[in-house]
Amino acid sequence: MGSNEPKMRISERALTVWKLYGWISAIITTIIAAGVITLAVLFDWSVWFIVGGVVVPILEIILFVYVFPTLKWRRWRYEVREEEIELQHGIFIVKRTLVPMVRVQHVDTEQGPILRKYRLATISISTAATVHQIPALDINEADELRDSISALARVAEDDV
Amino acid sequence: MSEEKRLHPITTVINSVKAIREAIIPIIILFFVNGRGDTGSILDYVPILVTAGLIILLIFLGLIQWWRFKYWIEEGELRIEQGLLVKKKRYIPFERIQSLNYSEGIFHRPFKLVKIKVETAGSSAEMDSEAVLTAITKEEANELNRMIAAAKKKLRDKGLDPELPVVEEPDVEDRVLYKMRPKDLIVMATTSGGAGVVLGGVLIFLSQFSEVIPYEAVFNELIEFVEAGILLAGILIVLVFFIAWLIAVAMTFLRYADFTVRLVDKDLVITRGLLEKKQTTVPLKRIQGIRFDQNIIREPFRYTSVTIESAGGSVLEKDSNAIRLLPMIKENEAIPILHEVLPDYEWKVDFKGAPSRSIFRYIFWKIFFSLFVIIPVSWFFFPIGLLSLTLIPLSILLGWMQYRTAGYNLSGDQLVMRFRGISKQIVYMKKKRIQSVTWTETYFQRKGHVATITATIKSYVGGSSTSVEHLDKKDVVTLMDWYRPEAVSKPEAREIIGELET
Repeated sequence: MGSNEPKMRISERALTVWKLYGWISAIITTIIAAGVITLAVLFDWSVWFIVGGVVVPILEIILFVYVFPTLKWRRWRYEVREEEIELQHGIFIVKRTLVPMVRVQHVDTEQGPILRKYRLATISISTAATVHQIPALDINEADELRDSISALARVAEDDV
Repeated sequence: MSEEKRLHPITTVINSVKAIREAIIPIIILFFVNGRGDTGSILDYVPILVTAGLIILLIFLGLIQWWRFKYWIEEGELRIEQGLLVKKKRYIPFERIQSLNYSEGIFHRPFKLVKIKVETAGSSAEMDSEAVLTAITKEEANELNRMIAAAKKKLRDKGLDPELPVVEEPDVEDRVLYKMRPKDLIVMATTSGGAGVVLGGVLIFLSQFSEVIPYEAVFNELIEFVEAGILLAGILIVLVFFIAWLIAVAMTFLRYADFTVRLVDKDLVITRGLLEKKQTTVPLKRIQGIRFDQNIIREPFRYTSVTIESAGGSVLEKDSNAIRLLPMIKENEAIPILHEVLPDYEWKVDFKGAPSRSIFRYIFWKIFFSLFVIIPVSWFFFPIGLLSLTLIPLSILLGWMQYRTAGYNLSGDQLVMRFRGISKQIVYMKKKRIQSVTWTETYFQRKGHVATITATIKSYVGGSSTSVEHLDKKDVVTLMDWYRPEAVSKPEAREIIGELET
């Protein structure tokens, strides 16, 4: 992506959390798949239901626990400069966003129970028209960032 | 005007009619449920009684609503109190009021009344402070307007309102910028696809009555009729289209007759409508961007429609985010008018297009997705399904047109983006109005050194995004740097980065 990409990375613990999310959804899928396999055996459905019931959860574990979180984490970068915030993320489609500091209306941090357990927080940066999130920053870093962004963000000179 | 007041009693009728109109679907269903059985039992009348009861209830609620609604002016605020069980009070300071939008419906006319919508600056959190006065006399409305203007002027004189610099007030300028001609209205109705909508509407409406109307019999008769005389059938079809067109023209006249744009002081005032007169006020400083829309029928004739993206405004009027400034005008006639409204914009620009290696990208996905239609359709409806193959040349044509249209222009602090879905659109934006800029790059785009750029401006309470796809990566970087507050200003630095990237 070139050398001038944003420098900061998100917390490494984000990887753990995303893998956990992957496991949770994979477990749910597995339960459903187990149900499908049972029904397929009981009612003599096509063998493809059984194949699907085995393959889908395995694929999901490989992709959503091992492959995607790592790729996602590797791509995620951000940088907060004095006058602008730059974000970069995306696995297959790389997305890079530039938000001038004067456009920032407010900044929020939030954590759910899982994020809290890992001392992480999501930071949301709102402009008048858009919301941009940095997921899973270290809680101290997030608080610091929130304070410094809201200090840097000035009231726009114009009507929004 | 400081004592508590009620709205004009006609409000009860307006409220009731509105409530009944919103409940029209249940009412129709109830009505049709009725009259199916002929048992002579009292139960047959239940639906009609329920319908009547419902309507009476809605009328009654309209009355209550009017009775409980009071407004008055106190301490430089417009204060409103309403609600039966839960009393709601709303105080809106005059200086927060951006504009009063007037409209006159058919119920207003005979009594010389207006409906007033109070528009505030409204960032989303403050959206609550809005109000509608459904029916008040014109004198009261003008009085209110005058008081608000006076309150604002007082603030301005004290230098308290930071948005308004202290200046000697010149005579308020009121100039007509544009008046729509009947000819334009007819062209607009003809090219808007309105006739098709009318026909479609009629067909959908008729299809609801398939149980009542013996379609098969009608169809058979129609076949006989067509066999009897193709000429006659042809005339009939032309006649049907002509009538649909007339209806579309009539509808356009109802909505857009007397369409006038005026520049009053620092506001644009747009008035329109035949039965229901509408007046919209847009403070110039709230304009976020300007959009040109050119649908595919209008394009060859160089007719376009010009829309204002405006911030804030009323949540109550759903379409107030995109205000039609010039609904139907020749491109070259629009520019002088726009130049008067927004002199700091540059209207005539040259576009830098997508690189020629992007043609394939524009076309490829359209063909790819059309295959999902073509293959099953051709398979299941074998001989005649092959007609779906025409989608391929159509995809190529559309992709090619999109490629030709895509482009951007940077001049000073202004960004212009041009793109096409099916209609051609051009969006003019000022740097200081752009909320964020994003570029996206898929795996394949990266291989071809192209990327898609998206700029978002505020529109209404949300945002409005404009994208141009598959631009040269160098152009995208230029655009990003233009937007960057801490721009890499030195050309040498730019070059180094460029080298590192390739």
